[in-house]
Amino acid sequence: MRPGSGIVPAVKDLLYRMADDALILGHRHSEWTGLGPVLEEDIAFSSIAQDKIGHAYALYQLLHELGEPEPDRIAFFRDAPQFRCCHLVEYPNGGYDFSLMRHFLYDVAEQCRYHLLESSRYEPLAQLARKVRGEIKYHVFHATQWVLHLGARGTEESHQRMQQALEQVFPLALGIFEPTEYDDLLAAASIFPGERPLQDRWLETIVPLIEQATLRLPALEAVVPAYGGRCGIHTEYLQPLLDEMGEVIRSEPEAEW
Amino acid sequence: MYGNLSLVEPLNGVEQENPEKLAEFEERISRGEKIEPTDWMPREYRRQVLRLVEQHAHSEIIGALPEGTWITRAPGFKRKLALMAKVQDEVGHAQLLYSAAETLGKPREFMINDLLSGKAKYSNVFNYPALTWADTAIIAWLVDAGAIINQTLNSKGSYGPYTRALERICKEEAFHLKYGYDNVVTLASGTKRQRQMLQEALNRWWKPIMHFFGPPDAVSVHSEKLMRWKVKMASNDEMRQMFLDAYVPRIWELGLNIPDPNLRKDPETGKWEYSDPDWDEFWRVINGNGPCNRERLAVRRMADELGAWVRRALLKPERQYVAPLF
Amino acid sequence: MSSGASHHTSQHPKQVALQSLDPRVNRLGIPSELSDFAPKPLQDEWEPYEVFWRERPGEQPVHVGTVRAPDPEMALVFAKENYCRRGQTYSLWVVRTADIHTFHPAEIDIFETAPGKMYREPDAYKVVQKILRLKRGRQHDQEAKSTS
Repeated sequence: MRPGSGIVPAVKDLLYRMADDALILGHRHSEWTGLGPVLEEDIAFSSIAQDKIGHAYALYQLLHELGEPEPDRIAFFRDAPQFRCCHLVEYPNGGYDFSLMRHFLYDVAEQCRYHLLESSRYEPLAQLARKVRGEIKYHVFHATQWVLHLGARGTEESHQRMQQALEQVFPLALGIFEPTEYDDLLAAASIFPGERPLQDRWLETIVPLIEQATLRLPALEAVVPAYGGRCGIHTEYLQPLLDEMGEVIRSEPEAEW
Repeated sequence: MYGNLSLVEPLNGVEQENPEKLAEFEERISRGEKIEPTDWMPREYRRQVLRLVEQHAHSEIIGALPEGTWITRAPGFKRKLALMAKVQDEVGHAQLLYSAAETLGKPREFMINDLLSGKAKYSNVFNYPALTWADTAIIAWLVDAGAIINQTLNSKGSYGPYTRALERICKEEAFHLKYGYDNVVTLASGTKRQRQMLQEALNRWWKPIMHFFGPPDAVSVHSEKLMRWKVKMASNDEMRQMFLDAYVPRIWELGLNIPDPNLRKDPETGKWEYSDPDWDEFWRVINGNGPCNRERLAVRRMADELGAWVRRALLKPERQYVAPLF
Repeated sequence: MSSGASHHTSQHPKQVALQSLDPRVNRLGIPSELSDFAPKPLQDEWEPYEVFWRERPGEQPVHVGTVRAPDPEMALVFAKENYCRRGQTYSLWVVRTADIHTFHPAEIDIFETAPGKMYREPDAYKVVQKILRLKRGRQHDQEAKSTS
């Protein structure tokens, strides 16, 4: 891919969407560190948060190579309208039910996305997709175990909570696949097949797992996907999150920290 | 991270132990053998080691909170990831230590109950607030440095499961110390505001750090027996001197002021002299009246309460309690 | 859409929330009055599993510690990050602590080997000396033969 070719803005947009999702979700997950439901899970979940932020860093690095500012600059100094993450990742953690269900629906999508990207014509992204395969596999394994356990092997209470969380999270998760103006261009250039095929793959993967967890997926037609994030329209939660995340680094923007 | 092991309780009832078994036990320890959970041990040894390991475990889990204060605000990717990893390690240490403590006969549930009810003690240093980002740097460097001195000594102790846990912990603490040092050096060589922030954090933390190893030997409960049993590996003052020897020059090297005009090394004795770090405050904090005791407890209770449904969902009430092997 | 966070704060609608330096803690909406403490029951923390880890192929798996987990699948999830988050891992096993069988601690003397079992030790066989003797004997025989 030559810099300056017409595809660059499309690739950047894809990278921003992926990186911003990973950063904000990793940030939300990290809030559980030291406050999780059991020590063992606290540790397991923190690793996932770290991996997500690591993935965001790698993606911002690719953006930097395409002429965008340094990763720290992009991540810590932009405001909400410049972010391209979906609403799903912005919501506060709430209970562990909400966090786990979000983690599950997001990570399956992430696994499908990176799987498609392994054969991307944009080689740096294809390489990254191969590099993160193992970590994402673990994330999906972790999430799936939890959803199966709390859905099918737990108590009436845990089943009910997971069902409620699913209903809450599902429309938000559909926002991951918000169509963008670049979808056709990216597909034509064999860089990424597009959000719609991704959503189809995602649904194919989650439906049997949710069934196994004895949960009911809301009907696709009956829910309104939470769109807007991909064009910079965000929930009320994103800007305060960014203010908090940037509080220290923005206090001395030119300093080394 | 841990300190305060110094709060030795008087030993009770050792004279009621079977003298032959006691002699054999002490002989094993003096040969450098480790004591394992199923070995014979004096009741008082069991009690003291359990108290030590349990307090250490509590200190790790509470120790995740002051630094956790800045987990969502760490400046930049490198610091954000490193702080997350560090706090994660502290939780991991608690996990290891609770298991080690359980081998002495107290289930993790009961230990956590004692922590949440306010009955159990943990390191005082975590009852102080991390006011600014620089406080996390000072904690990661100097509090962890203190912890390493303590833990490295204890890893040569006599109780097998505890020493094994500590070996693992010490390896991880090496990263904490290096991360903290790097963080401090960065701030010390940064802007005027960063240097000021660092100096103020050092001013705040110096007293709790001086308290870290516990009250002076002169007023501490006699712990000769615990030293012989290799439960306590060095006296409070010895550890404090080791710390000052290693770190005061490094702090000065960075152009920082230590807020104690009397701090100096006596060239004749080779010992550090310092002002009385206000031991009354130490006792106030340990008895629950420090700046953050209530908050720490409230947060732990809340975390436990929020996670209760998750734990409850997968309980097997019919099972018998089994202690981990470790 | 209500946020996931709403369920905590709604539990304590009237109390003033604890104010912390930690924004995460503020979001938990902890009441400023310390809540009543209900002790955990004994089974609250799930049962222990022992964790065995092998760094690389060709090595012995070693016991590295314990995790508390509700079943083997979760024990594996936990063991991975609790014991393998640094360095290399080739394999990881978990087994319920309750399923590990051992001799009773009182039976520890079962491992004491009585003296007189030297026939099982390599040191008990002084082959070199025997060979020397054998060689010497042979030399002797030959010398005797040649002089006769």
